[in-house]
Amino acid sequence: MAASLSSSGCARLMTALARSSVLYNSFESRSLHVTAVCCKNQAARIRIGKGDKPLTYEQAHHPHQIAHRKGWLSQHTSNLKGVEGAAERTVEDVFIRRFMFGTFHGCLANEVVIKRRGNMLVVCALMLQKLPPQKFYFLIGYSESLLSHFYKCPVKLDIQTLQDKAVYKYL
Amino acid sequence: MAAPCRHVGHHIKRNGRFLRINLDQLFASRGFRWTSALQQQGAEVHKESKEPIVIPRKKSWSSEAVLEALASTVHRDPTAYPYQFQDDPYLSPRTSTEFKLFSLSQESGRAAAKYFVNNNPKFFTKDFAEPHIPCLMPESVALRLEEVSEEALKERITLRKVSAAVEMYDQLLQAGTSVSMETTQELLDLICLYCDKNPVQEGAPEVADAEEAGEETKRRKPKGRRAADHLRTIWKENNNAERIFNVLPEKDSRCYSALIRGMVKHGAYSKAFSLYTDLLNNRLSADVHTFNALISAVPDVRDKFNERWDLITELLKQMNEQKVRPNLLTFNSVLKALRRCGFLAKTYAPQTLNEMKALGIAPSLATYDHILAVFYKLGSSGPNNTDIIQDMLTELEGTSFTCQDPHDVFFFSSAIRICLDSKDLELGYKVHSLVEVGDNWRLLGDSYQQSVYYGRFFSLLCMMEHIDVVLKWYSRIIPSLYYPNPQGMRDLLQALDTDGRLDLLPTIWKDIKTLGHDNKVDLVEELLSLMAREEHSPEVQESFAACALDVKSVFDGRSNMEWSTSSLSHVTTLLLRANKLQQAWDMLLLFKAKNKVPSEVLLNNFLSVCQSSGAPKRAVELVQLAAAFCLPATPVLAKTALAEFQLTDEQRSILSEFEASPEKETE
Repeated sequence: MAASLSSSGCARLMTALARSSVLYNSFESRSLHVTAVCCKNQAARIRIGKGDKPLTYEQAHHPHQIAHRKGWLSQHTSNLKGVEGAAERTVEDVFIRRFMFGTFHGCLANEVVIKRRGNMLVVCALMLQKLPPQKFYFLIGYSESLLSHFYKCPVKLDIQTLQDKAVYKYL
Repeated sequence: MAAPCRHVGHHIKRNGRFLRINLDQLFASRGFRWTSALQQQGAEVHKESKEPIVIPRKKSWSSEAVLEALASTVHRDPTAYPYQFQDDPYLSPRTSTEFKLFSLSQESGRAAAKYFVNNNPKFFTKDFAEPHIPCLMPESVALRLEEVSEEALKERITLRKVSAAVEMYDQLLQAGTSVSMETTQELLDLICLYCDKNPVQEGAPEVADAEEAGEETKRRKPKGRRAADHLRTIWKENNNAERIFNVLPEKDSRCYSALIRGMVKHGAYSKAFSLYTDLLNNRLSADVHTFNALISAVPDVRDKFNERWDLITELLKQMNEQKVRPNLLTFNSVLKALRRCGFLAKTYAPQTLNEMKALGIAPSLATYDHILAVFYKLGSSGPNNTDIIQDMLTELEGTSFTCQDPHDVFFFSSAIRICLDSKDLELGYKVHSLVEVGDNWRLLGDSYQQSVYYGRFFSLLCMMEHIDVVLKWYSRIIPSLYYPNPQGMRDLLQALDTDGRLDLLPTIWKDIKTLGHDNKVDLVEELLSLMAREEHSPEVQESFAACALDVKSVFDGRSNMEWSTSSLSHVTTLLLRANKLQQAWDMLLLFKAKNKVPSEVLLNNFLSVCQSSGAPKRAVELVQLAAAFCLPATPVLAKTALAEFQLTDEQRSILSEFEASPEKETE
């Protein structure tokens, strides 16, 4: 199916080019080469390598394992029938993830999990014990307050700390 | 599986009528078979039902009734850290310094975020919330109005910019525009509240003024307890408030009130009274807040007790003449001033209480605190009459309080201090049960006051209670509510000693380490001496020896902790009792390294342990060590060693040298 689409596309392209007289007037005919598309999934998949790359459980499982072996990283009800706002929630999530990555730079051990309960935003993160606890608390107070003012809802941070990243396997 | 059910349901629906008729017939036929006994019972039931049925009135529950019922099943979790911290062992505070540090750093993070939000309001103005949440919107910190007008003045007053407001006011007066009375009054209130300085915000305060003020307060109060005292402001001569006040064409009572209260708050007491006489000369009447401020300033303007009381009574009489109704704070300030009136207090305090009762004003915790202070002198541990506090606690039992006076928070710590001084455990339990009623724990004050209260409560328990109860309370309040200081740990050690539970000492040592008190040398030495004092059973001795090794590693790890002779000998004794010969030998070498001399008893002990574990080489080394210290006991040791041990000839020759008198050695 893929091949036929591309060939029909290619044919249309050729006819479009033919209509413009540029092609026939030039000495070399330039054509477009299109190969068959390989429908390969590559979202959130880390491919097998030499065996020295450590992966967490989250990274080691591919997206089709969600709801089988993985949970969801973002939990909200806007994807139910009749509930609006899914796009806005997604954009907020993207911002929150980048914000956490930047504020707690180098300390995140795993992906940030975002849960919405009532009107509250709960951001759960696993951190490495890189900073002394008082610096953690400064950043926690800062993020909670800033995000609350930004999204006009109470934002709570649930932080758990680890010594090192929890490696599930090496790929 | 779903399909068969559907079939059955379908079947019943179709054949329902048949089934029902059959069932009725079944019941009817069974009815006839009832025995006569059953029939009689049936008759009785029928008779009883002839009594009127009382339907109870419908109860209306609040909308949170279910939640409250569920909440009442859950009590405070004594193993949890305070909820403002994250639930993670790395991020939980173990000592009181960590508690303060973490909560302060979290607050400073919040302050940093507020700074960003307020200084970049354009990113935070989009309002998603429905209904509108005002506290999550950026606050306007920047002045918008720049022109010289009354609106600009009002804006500066609302934003609490003291110096800018004064400037604007002066500009307005110079320009000739008259400012309305209300705005002038608000301006005076602002200046007097902040003593003519801008309120301290996130930025640094005006450094020069603060230093100057700090110097003066230092001279005035050399024994300031906390840093906050040094930041107290002083009312300067002829500052902006006075200047503006004097220039005012007509001064009404609200202006006077602002000035007087500002003067009292910032220490210019005599000026406040002179201004009050001005007010009286102008035939104005003051309001209740002014009178409260003046009464609280009385002890600072008069020195003799009876003069003070006379002034207070005069003020109260004038209050009556001016038809100003006193409130709770009036009586609390009277009692607070009475505290500084010496022997007069005991006569007049009950009279004040009667006045309160006559006016129908309910006393607050601050009132009770002042009464306790009047009748129970600080530090007196003689046979105190505890009737007053007993009556007070019986009356207050089960009441829940709200904070009505800033002085309320001192009640619980003074009450428990009285219980501690009079060594009354029952009274202490009564005070604590009052703390546990409803929301009264909020009135324990800030973390310092709380630690004072729990510290005294815990010392009372350690002094008077049986050790099992003490340990129960220990697990309940430490460390979730209270981080004990070294004195508290010492009380606990004494309690363990009194009740003979010294086997718990290693666990207490672990707690001491967690609390960060392992750098307090005298506490550690006391612990060691308690452990080394007597012999215990072998398992206990093993645990003590492990604990002693732990103490040794702590001493070695810290450079500022010095070994003393007693602590070294205690550790060695403990190791010897558990037959840890090698480690005990290391300890003796440590004696040498720190230039401390081991005692004779210790060396004899060592020798006997050597004998029981059969280490003759060690014994010889021991005698050599004793000789190195030039101890007078060396010949005795050598003799005992020669007598009791199986020694080679070489060793015998070494020892016989030492058997000679020490004078020969030093030659």
